[in-house]
Amino acid sequence: MESVKQRFTDLNTIIDGVHSLFDQFQMSGLHPSLDEDAVLQAKLAVHEWTANLVQHADFEGRIPWVVVDIWTEGDRIECVIEDNSNGFDLERGLVERANGLSSIPERGMGLLMLKACTSRLEYTKTEDRTYRLEFTVNGGQDPCLDIPFSS
Amino acid sequence: MQVTTMSFTVEPCNQETVIVRIGKALDFRNAAEFKSTCQTQVRSGARNFILDFSETGILDSTGLGSIFSLYRQVSPLEGQVVFAAVSRPVQVVVQLTRTYKVFRQFPSVEAAEEALQ
Repeated sequence: MESVKQRFTDLNTIIDGVHSLFDQFQMSGLHPSLDEDAVLQAKLAVHEWTANLVQHADFEGRIPWVVVDIWTEGDRIECVIEDNSNGFDLERGLVERANGLSSIPERGMGLLMLKACTSRLEYTKTEDRTYRLEFTVNGGQDPCLDIPFSS
Repeated sequence: MQVTTMSFTVEPCNQETVIVRIGKALDFRNAAEFKSTCQTQVRSGARNFILDFSETGILDSTGLGSIFSLYRQVSPLEGQVVFAAVSRPVQVVVQLTRTYKVFRQFPSVEAAEEALQ
């Protein structure tokens, strides 16, 4: 199992960095049979989470760091994103956004997209007091975020 | 007259229709600029928007939200927002959110222009 992994400390450039990491993952040649849409779904999920960190995370004056690790297990893509922020109540956030999703919504879709793309999503506080998001994206799936399109 | 912002280029087709070349990304970093660019066009009389996604590698939830915002603006004016030359990363978002139910898609900008004439 080979992975691509990178540590980011600049929140101003992390989004471009994450996308470059995925380019590296795709071009490594290690995953020739991987479903391209699954890779793009995983990329979207990582983008949404890191965007959430950039916009909302509280690092309480600490120099921020975020580590992104991506690898495959068969036709599954596994991702781990660890950071040194004060964390976030993901479960509550998901429930609130699902309940509050309006018709043709202008906001509140990011975490729901992340959830929809993933078949397994876990968020935990580590013994080192960092936060760790782990998820799996399965190949060959047609995930759906059910957005209301009429009132 | 062609208008170029930091992220987008806007080209008029006719009095009511414009093409917005999205470029590399429409996400939380430039969604406000997209909204403001489109608002300016609506104030100038544009009702139909052709979004050219041929070069786009990133469309995220905030970017999609800004397109929904445009849709809300032009729908009461009987305007349309359509997608053209949709790249694979954008198609993944369209498929995930089933937004093809709201936005018509065309294989090219030219095909979209023809349909909106």
